[in-house]
Formats: sequence, structure tokens, C-alpha cells
Amino acid sequence: MTQAILQRITDGDGSAVQDCLDKYGGLVWSIARKMLRNSEDAEDAVQEIFVDIWKNAERFDESKSSETTFIAMIARRRLIDRIRYATRRITAESLDDVLLEPFTRGDKDMQVSLEAGQAAEAMRSLRPEQQQVLRLSIIQGMSHQEISEATGMPLGTVKTHARRGILHVRESLGLGGTNFSREATV
Amino acid sequence: MNEKTNDMLFDLLTKKAVYGLEEAEQGHLDDLDAGTAEMEFRSLELAVAAISTVGLEEEELPFHLRSKIIEDGEHHFAEARTFVSELWPPATSRLSSVSEKDDVSGGSWFGWFGWAAAAMACIALALNLWFTRPQPSVEVAQNKPPVDTPRSLSPTELRDQMLKAATGTIKAAWTIGNVKELTQVVGDVVWSDDSQKGYMRLQGLPANDVAKETYQLWIFDKTQDAATPIDGGTFDVKSDGEVVIPINAKLKTQGPQMFAITIEKPGGVVVSKRGRIAALAKVETQTKPTA
Repeated sequence: MTQAILQRITDGDGSAVQDCLDKYGGLVWSIARKMLRNSEDAEDAVQEIFVDIWKNAERFDESKSSETTFIAMIARRRLIDRIRYATRRITAESLDDVLLEPFTRGDKDMQVSLEAGQAAEAMRSLRPEQQQVLRLSIIQGMSHQEISEATGMPLGTVKTHARRGILHVRESLGLGGTNFSREATV
Repeated sequence: MNEKTNDMLFDLLTKKAVYGLEEAEQGHLDDLDAGTAEMEFRSLELAVAAISTVGLEEEELPFHLRSKIIEDGEHHFAEARTFVSELWPPATSRLSSVSEKDDVSGGSWFGWFGWAAAAMACIALALNLWFTRPQPSVEVAQNKPPVDTPRSLSPTELRDQMLKAATGTIKAAWTIGNVKELTQVVGDVVWSDDSQKGYMRLQGLPANDVAKETYQLWIFDKTQDAATPIDGGTFDVKSDGEVVIPINAKLKTQGPQMFAITIEKPGGVVVSKRGRIAALAKVETQTKPTA
């Protein structure tokens, strides 16, 4: 059922809009709130994201990812564009909480998609420093420089952890990659 | 590609997937390996998207934002439909095209004969329906001259008459739409496919400022795509309290499934954005009312 929503949008089924919002409205809104912090910015961004979703629905390929991941990807693209035009950073007060937050939610909470569960599993198999870098960069939205300053890791090490961690998760999710990308995961 | 270059490539790709790249960085990436990099990037972007949903605590989309997005969606689909309709003209235009094609192909006589036969069949059917029409209608016709009937009966009386007639009249109750202020709209809509007539009985729909807006009815017929409902005509409400409004469908209906009243600019619109839906009435069953 879930897989059919983007196809229905492609087919011009107006009722699929409501279903898409029921299923993915919270996901997109939560990602936007996490990345932008400011509610007004997040609202504008979420409107833009859904227009992007209507326009890009036909590009969805269920053999490559779940709808959830595809929609999260479209959301992130738009949010990254917005962030690049505005200053957005985690506040100093929340930074300590972020650094101390253990990566355990995936163990006890229902994941928003099968791939999210698999990604959580793949992250748990990473070295703790790699987990931390992925969590701070992708989930919390900190820059490599900020992570370096906050954790004391050299900038180059942060980049290496990010690269190897993401490639490992990609491989675990079966999302593809070339031979020489596998060399980079080592 | 040596190991150092490979690492540099993937540093840039992962950075692009997580944060995006500056123009100079993108240029550097293109120099390193444009073809393979694009393929790699797409799968990395999906991996990053999957990671971004890990442990995400979902918050509910705010209601007002949801309404805006739905409006955007309607607008997007309406634009898409306009595009399609320009490529594929509506039914009336298609009929013209068929006639022209018949002329060109030399098959027009058969076409005209077919149309004439169909028209005669329709006349015969109409006469048959007239002479075998249900008794209550006969009584009305006998009591008052046919010409006077529409003038002498109010919409309320005509509605009552329709409900009493033993025809396939449908009836559906109004429920509220998406206009926050309109929470008290009640009443019903009755419609007959046979007579192509119907009436809306409404209470709680406020008087509209005719200089600024009008109400417009839309009929979602089973023969029509939900995206292109039949225009049921515009109307104004001049006073509070119960009103009965005749329906003025612009196309023939063959099984309405839902009725919707939207608030539009004066004169109405051809395609509604459905931003302000005053009331909705969904047809649950198509029965013959007993009274």
C-alpha cells in the first residue's frame, strides 16, 4: 500500500496528496524541524518540499529505495539548499546534550521505515567514533568543523569517519556503489 | 585512481550528500571524476537519507500547514490537468473532431444516419417516459398548467415534490468543509439523474458579500475524474436561516458520488483550487426516498 502513493501521484490521483501527507507529513516536518530549528523556516521549507515531491514522484524507483528514504532524500536536498543560504547551527546550550546523547533510540523505538531500522543496525556495527560523527553530522546537522571542535578529533579524522561510516551504511543497505568506493570503506 | 584521490573524491561526495558543496568544491569534484561521481552520489544521498530517519521522533504536521500543502497540491494537479486538457480537448471538442474526421474519411452519411437514428430514439424514449411517467407528477401537471409550474412552485416545494416522486432521486447530507469559521453547515442535497434537476437545502451557510465572493457547487460524478468535477453553478446566500437553492449542472450527470460547495471569486471559476470548501455531501447510497 505504502509503495503505491508516489505512483498514484504520478498518475495524477489528487486523493494521493492526502494519503501522502498522512503517511509522510510527520516525517518531512520532523526532518525540517531537526535541520532548521526555526518553525517559520521549517513551514516554508516543508511546503516547498511537498511541491518537490509532487514534481519528482515519477523518479521514485522502488527497486532502489523505500518511499520513506526517497522522500527523506528530497526533503534533505531542499533543506540543504535553504541552509546554504542561511545561518543555522545548533545552539551552544544544546551542544552538550547532543554530544552526550547515546545512540540507543533505534533499539527501543519503532523506526519510520524498514531502511531506517537497517541503517540503525548498520550504524551500530560501526566504531563508536564513526557512529558519533554520523549522528552529529547527519542527524544533528553539525558541520565537520563543529564536530572537530566539539569532540577534539582532528578535522581530517572527522572527514574519514564520515566517509567510511556512510559508505559502510550504504553497503549494508544494498544501495550500490562501485568497486573503488569499496576501497574507501576500508 | 590512487588511494589519495579516491579518498578525496569520497570526502567530497559524502560532504555533498550531507551538507551540499560550494561552487569551487563542485568544480573540484567534476575534475576528479564526473561520470562515476554522479552514480556514487545518488546512492550516497539515499544512504544519508536513510540515516537521517534513524531514531527520528516524528512530530505531527501542523494542521494549518497541512491545509496549505493540500492547496498547493490541488494547484499543482490543476496546472497539470490544464496542460493535459490543452493536449486533449474536452469531450465537446472531441465530438467536433470526430465529425470532421468522418467528413474527411467519406463516412459522413453513415455518421449522420447514426446520429439521426440516435436522436429519434431519444425522442421516442422521451415520449415514452412522458406518457408513462409516475402518477404524482401527473397530478402536479393536471393541477397546474406545465408552463406555470416552475414559476408557481418555490424551490422548497419543487424539492419536496422531487422527494415524493418515485424516481431515482438521491439524497446526501451536508458536512463541514475546510473553512474554520463554517462549523454549523447542515442540510442536504437531493438530485435526480433522470430529470437532471436537484436542490440544496442549507442552514448555517452565512450570507456572502456578492462584491467579494460567491458560493459554487461542484458535482463529483462517477463518469468524471475526481480532479474535474462538474460545475453545479454559482449562488449567493442573502440571509441567514434555511435556504433551498436549485442546482444548475453544466454537464449531464450519471451518478453523482459527492457534492462540494466552494467559496470563489464573484462569477465563479472554471477550475476550483478548493482552498475554501464550505461544505461537502457524500452520497452513501443511491436509493429511492419514500418521502
